[in-house]
Amino acid sequence: MKDEQLRPTGIGAVGDVPWGTHFFLFHETKEDLIDANIPYFQAGLETKELCMWVIADPLTEEEVRYSLKHSIPDFEDHFEKGNIEIVRGREWYMTGDDLDLEKVTRGWKQNTDRALNSGYAGFRLSADTAWLDKRRDWKAFCEYEKEVNDSIVDAPMLALCTYPLPGSAAAEILDVARTHQFAIARRNKGWEVVETSELKQAKAEILRLNNNLERRVMERTRQLTAANEELRRQMAERRRAEEALLTAQAELAHVTRVTAMGELAASIVHEVTQPLTGIVSNGNACLNWLANVPPNIEKARGAVERIIRDTNRASEVIHDIRTLVKNTPPHKEEVDLNDLIYRTLALANGEMTPEQVELQTELAAGLPSVVGDRVQLQQVLLNLIMNAIEAMRTVSGRRLLTIQSAMRDPKSVTVSVHDSGVGIDPQNADHLFDAFFTTKSQGMGMGLSICRTIISAHGGHLSNVAKASTGATFEFTLPADVVKSDNVDIATA
Amino acid sequence: MTPGRHTEGPTNETVFLIDDDLSVREGLTALIESMDLPVRAFGSAADFLTAQPEEAEGCVVLDVNMPGMNGLDLQREMNSAGIPLPVIFLTGHGDIPMTVRALKAGAVHFLTKPVREDDLLAAVRQALETDRKARSERAEMRRLRERFDLLAPRERQVMHLVTAGRLNKQIAHELGISERTVKLYRGQVMRKMGVDSLADLVQHAQKLGLLS
Repeated sequence: MKDEQLRPTGIGAVGDVPWGTHFFLFHETKEDLIDANIPYFQAGLETKELCMWVIADPLTEEEVRYSLKHSIPDFEDHFEKGNIEIVRGREWYMTGDDLDLEKVTRGWKQNTDRALNSGYAGFRLSADTAWLDKRRDWKAFCEYEKEVNDSIVDAPMLALCTYPLPGSAAAEILDVARTHQFAIARRNKGWEVVETSELKQAKAEILRLNNNLERRVMERTRQLTAANEELRRQMAERRRAEEALLTAQAELAHVTRVTAMGELAASIVHEVTQPLTGIVSNGNACLNWLANVPPNIEKARGAVERIIRDTNRASEVIHDIRTLVKNTPPHKEEVDLNDLIYRTLALANGEMTPEQVELQTELAAGLPSVVGDRVQLQQVLLNLIMNAIEAMRTVSGRRLLTIQSAMRDPKSVTVSVHDSGVGIDPQNADHLFDAFFTTKSQGMGMGLSICRTIISAHGGHLSNVAKASTGATFEFTLPADVVKSDNVDIATA
Repeated sequence: MTPGRHTEGPTNETVFLIDDDLSVREGLTALIESMDLPVRAFGSAADFLTAQPEEAEGCVVLDVNMPGMNGLDLQREMNSAGIPLPVIFLTGHGDIPMTVRALKAGAVHFLTKPVREDDLLAAVRQALETDRKARSERAEMRRLRERFDLLAPRERQVMHLVTAGRLNKQIAHELGISERTVKLYRGQVMRKMGVDSLADLVQHAQKLGLLS
């Protein structure tokens, strides 16, 4: 088990170290040993580690306990609970007169497991080697230390190995240094960390890798930032282009609406004149009836009621024309397509009668509304109707304009405009919706292109439907305002 | 409308209004009615033709611009069906070509929508007057024709020659009868045709189309 959390060693110069730290010190006196170990164990007990101090001559257990008790306030309590154990080196390391390092290794493992199983944070060890018979066992011990040094890395264990400096040969000091991660040494009454060459190399390597990594991270970050900025710039540019496109489309739609209104001027005048004729006639009639002796109030009232009705009719037409001509920004609302068809036919009516165009409407009852821009959708209807009338202008037979609305599936509404006109040349069928494509002598060729753009922007589709009979059929489908129809489904379920 | 209340001629006179637009139709119906004139309104030319009584009296106020059979078609239909009612056309501002065609086909009057009351009243009055005159002329013709139909073949021959300015002697010679017999026929003709003078007889002959 590996714990990323650092452990306090209690030794100022060493500070915090990770689990798996294996270091050593050379001591000249007993005091050195106590001086280093007391803060070491105090830190261990305070951070709930299982502690073990393996001592050797000349230090006695009494001395150790005495020192610990005087430095660590609740040491006795810890000792009673077994949080810290003090054992003699010879007993721990040897079986009989022989060094038993397998037993020792097992011991570390058992203590580490016990520490974890009993709720300790880990296992903290300090072991003195003064008992060691260097002449006989030095080599084996060094190998054992090397193994500990390699295997401790992954264990929740700290190990401080203490060696008596007096009587240690230079070669032995080197061996110890080679088999530990680092050393601490007495200097100016304090402890200082003495790094081994391996550690230094490792640290240097880590530093170099770190620097390298940092440099690469910075480089990569710089690249990513640049790429991000480029992306952001492109997105902004794209958004601007899209906005410009939408504006241009709306502008074009407006221009074609105004153009269509110009073409419809006679129609529109007619459509307003009719109710005006009704209004002025009823007004005169009303005056006549009021002038009777006695005044004919009932008749006069009827005339005024008709005046109001006709005025509303004229207002509706004027309102529709105003909204079609005014350049208003797109605005989504609930639109009843059947109602919109009727109102659009009112505008185009004046174009149909002189041309002897018969009108047939087959509008589905209970058609769900759609969500969209009323003005733009009316423009589409007007365009399709005007095209249909235009297509029948040169036909000598029956001129029949059929407008249908239907709900072919539960989620969409379809409107189709069919004429009995000249039909569409198959050669042209593929280009009908292209901008600037026209078969009319005075057409701009924008009508159907804009219509398709409008219907697409509403999530629908406008197409020319090939039919067996004469003439042409254009059809658009828009998503139904499903919230409403869902409610209906639930209500009828 | 109470037939007895209007002041314009016999009770059978009716303004026939034909317009497909409800606002226009109801408005003009009200206006004509409020002018104490009997009015019957129709939404289409076909409806009018279906309902039209043979001996209708009055005039027709007709929208030029209608779906189905338009005003001009109806005018043509009326002419060929021998419906002699004078026609007042209602036109919009954009109907100039139609107006010209209607004028050529013998329309008496044009009113542009929205219609002014005075114009409508004047036009209707004039049309009714025209109709009245035409009717009395037609009645006169009918009477003449009836009288002429009563003449025997010899009497017709004599009338023909007399009104052509022949003298009795010439007629007697031409027909191979005696002058006395010519005088006898001549007296019969004057009596049967209900005239006192040769001048009146000549006038009747002219109306009957005998002098050409």
